[in-house]
Amino acid sequence: MSRIGVFICHCGENIGGTVDCEKVAETAAKYPGVAYSVDYKYMCSDPGQNMIKDAIKEHKLTGVVVAACSPRMHEPTFRKAVSEAGINPFLCEMANLREHCSWVHLKDDSTTEKAEELVKVLVEKVKRNQPLEPIKVPVTKTALVLGGGIAGIQAALDIANSGHKVIMIEKSPSIGGHMSQLSETFPTLDCSQCILTPRMVEVAQHPNITLYTYAELVGLDGFIGNFQASIKLKAKSIDHDICNGCGDCIAKCPIKKIPDEFNAGLGTRTAVYVPFPQAVPNKPVIDRENCTYFTRDGKCGLCAKVCTKGAIDYSQKDEIITIDVGAVVVATGFDIKGTDFFPEYGYGRYKDVITGLQFERLASASGPTLGEIKRPSDGKVPQNIVFIACAGSRDPAKGIEYCSKICCMYTAKHAMLYKHKVHQGKASVFYMDIRAGGKMYEEFVRRAIEEDDVNYIRGRVSRIYEKNGKLIVKGVDTLLDAYPVEIEADMVVLATAGIANEGSEELAQSLHISYDQHNFFAEAHPKLKPVETNTAGIMLAGACQSPKDIPDSVSQASGAAVKVAALFSKDELTRDPLIAYVNRCGPPTYSTCVGCFLCVSVCPYLAIEKEQIKDRNGNLIKEVAKINPGLCQGCGTCVALCRSKSIDIYGYSHSQVFAEVMALFNERSLENV
Amino acid sequence: MQELHNKIKSILENGSASLFIAYQKSREGKITPTFITKPEQSQKAYFGDDCKQNLAVYIHKQEVKNFGKVGIFANIYTLKSLLQIYAENQIRDDYLKVVTINPNGAIVEFANFMEIENYVNENKPAPNPEDMERVEKLSNLSREERWDYWLNELSTCIKCYACRAACPMCYCTKCTVDCNQPQWISTPSHSLGNIEWHIMRAMHLAGRCVECNECARVCPMDIPLNLLTVKLNDTANIEFGQQAGLKGELDYALSTFKVDDKENFIR
Repeated sequence: MSRIGVFICHCGENIGGTVDCEKVAETAAKYPGVAYSVDYKYMCSDPGQNMIKDAIKEHKLTGVVVAACSPRMHEPTFRKAVSEAGINPFLCEMANLREHCSWVHLKDDSTTEKAEELVKVLVEKVKRNQPLEPIKVPVTKTALVLGGGIAGIQAALDIANSGHKVIMIEKSPSIGGHMSQLSETFPTLDCSQCILTPRMVEVAQHPNITLYTYAELVGLDGFIGNFQASIKLKAKSIDHDICNGCGDCIAKCPIKKIPDEFNAGLGTRTAVYVPFPQAVPNKPVIDRENCTYFTRDGKCGLCAKVCTKGAIDYSQKDEIITIDVGAVVVATGFDIKGTDFFPEYGYGRYKDVITGLQFERLASASGPTLGEIKRPSDGKVPQNIVFIACAGSRDPAKGIEYCSKICCMYTAKHAMLYKHKVHQGKASVFYMDIRAGGKMYEEFVRRAIEEDDVNYIRGRVSRIYEKNGKLIVKGVDTLLDAYPVEIEADMVVLATAGIANEGSEELAQSLHISYDQHNFFAEAHPKLKPVETNTAGIMLAGACQSPKDIPDSVSQASGAAVKVAALFSKDELTRDPLIAYVNRCGPPTYSTCVGCFLCVSVCPYLAIEKEQIKDRNGNLIKEVAKINPGLCQGCGTCVALCRSKSIDIYGYSHSQVFAEVMALFNERSLENV
Repeated sequence: MQELHNKIKSILENGSASLFIAYQKSREGKITPTFITKPEQSQKAYFGDDCKQNLAVYIHKQEVKNFGKVGIFANIYTLKSLLQIYAENQIRDDYLKVVTINPNGAIVEFANFMEIENYVNENKPAPNPEDMERVEKLSNLSREERWDYWLNELSTCIKCYACRAACPMCYCTKCTVDCNQPQWISTPSHSLGNIEWHIMRAMHLAGRCVECNECARVCPMDIPLNLLTVKLNDTANIEFGQQAGLKGELDYALSTFKVDDKENFIR
């Protein structure tokens, strides 16, 4: 006979203001199997928890229903309390009287009635609860970091410095990411490369970090603590063990007109190349899509002739390696919209309408103009420059309704850098709002406006067109009573929206993590779990989650690293045993599972595999489904699909759910059928 | 017919099967299945347009499995069923010898399921126009009218489960209706229990039914049960481009999703 204890929480006024908690406790006391029922102001407080513990001992309770807030809030609290009183924590359940009842209904008798029914349902469930033990799974203490930008670098270094192995993979030939392309950084105007390159070198030298550049993740199997990553190492066509990075091959390469990705298309590079002077590793790769040797059947071969070390190896093949890792940090970064996205700004036709990232390269000492601001069309120094913030961002009509976050700040920085380099030049900024939330950010923008005399115009630009070698920028000043503004500019910089990388949807699918409508990866909870994903063991860092500046990316990366380090601090993981299992019964059936395996494809976590039941001589009796307890997240999709009800789920069994539903039925509702 | 007899005889003689399942015709003209174990019995086998039963239903029986390698004479629906249950991992290629007679009257013996797949796709049976007409008619009714129609039809059900016994896709060792911990589907043949049972049966066959129509044919109360599954199949085909019994590998609309699904909610 069950002896259930029911504990009704007022949650101050949260529940007590709408629901007659005393009455609910009185009614609950009359439910069959309820041995004790009481209400209290704050059940989660120490005295509240002690009430539960004392009642368990005094009334010899076999199960506990706490009717309070959402189990997402306090289930761990109450489960711990009951286990301290000596009963299995999984014999305690919560009825959600707050989110499911008091918060969504007005004060009324029917609200109290609903609360009573919610309690009744949970009493019926707890009567059928089984004591469960947490599952233990081993942990591989190696982390995989996807992406070698600043977020990936920070996460890798933090994890490596806490004593764990890190595998970092980067798809381009060098780590560094977007930060290596930046000229100077807000709000301090320190040189981006000067602060970044020491970190890049540290990654390369760290004994705990294995770096694979020119590599891509092709698949991830397994589960938290036990992932298997398949990584494609693209053929570099150069043996990096032999190459000394002298650069002779680069000097001799006849293919020189390839648009340079590092310079955002403003410069050119050769087919055998190192992306930038401080690249890590500072050894070239051959871009097979553009190299004559590969595009024209073995013609050329100049690099191999000049290489004194004999490091060039055209026969290298892409290689796929598999590595066991326990956690993954996704730090794959972001991309920006190109100027061709904007019909009103010339569809990318005007050479002197450039993106913010291109301006970074113009302003950078390592850029195509060696840091001089020269416009791409004729190399002249622009005397009148216009910056347009929110190019695409905050524009539902263009499909990018979010704020790209970094543009206000870098636009102020760009204007400032321009003024520092072209003293007599005129800089104007069209903006919607200035969003300068951050330490020293507002002061930085004020400095641009007040000290560097940048002309800030609040309003949007409707059109840009070319006339007599000038770019005519037609906009409006909304602070001057919507007065039209027209500027004859030499160059226009669009602060184009930050967007998710191409292929991020496919990557999310291969990682089994969720993503939002803009293909940015989704965090597990927007406030309380901002670095975790919904898939246990996979964390997010940096702008792959949403556009972020450097400090935000670095902070999140460190946060992700701590999550990984915490995961690796134990040899075994424990997790809730609320998972599905395939039933077993006596011979000759052994299991009611008939092995149709329709459930295999329905499982979003790839947790279902085939198992052979054999007799003691090793003869196959039957093949049935088996659920991997490490992978199963207890979502119950397979339970719903299984025709023969051969799959059940601990903690939410068929008999429990059935009893809950039946508890809500009364004679009247059955008569209607 | 002689050719068929010779084929069965040779299959049993050369040991590629120790049991052959075929049709036979009684003196009264009744078509029943026959289980031939000796080569000299092979002249019992019969084939004609009146051979409607879906013999694939016997493949799951333990008594049949005990024979090891089994031969079967299959009409086109039996072939589709075999293909579907093969996709659902219920039979093995090397334990089955399948024989059919093609539209030109020639005997065809299949070496493997790949060949069955090709044959079935070349000889896809056309949907029964009468059934399609009735489905169409029902679809045009209002929801209430349709509900009343089925309430009325299903009220006569006596829960004999002949529909389940005749269906090659109903191969579960323990049917949901037999689960009594808890008792999801009530067993008495009152209207609640009848509706629960038939909705469940139809849903379990959605996208798996090969439209052999055995369920309707065997129903002693003449309930047109096949219309439910035919309609569901039609929906699976229109919405997800999935058809049962045409592929040797699993393609089940209810357990898969496609990244390029036209509905956006899936993304």
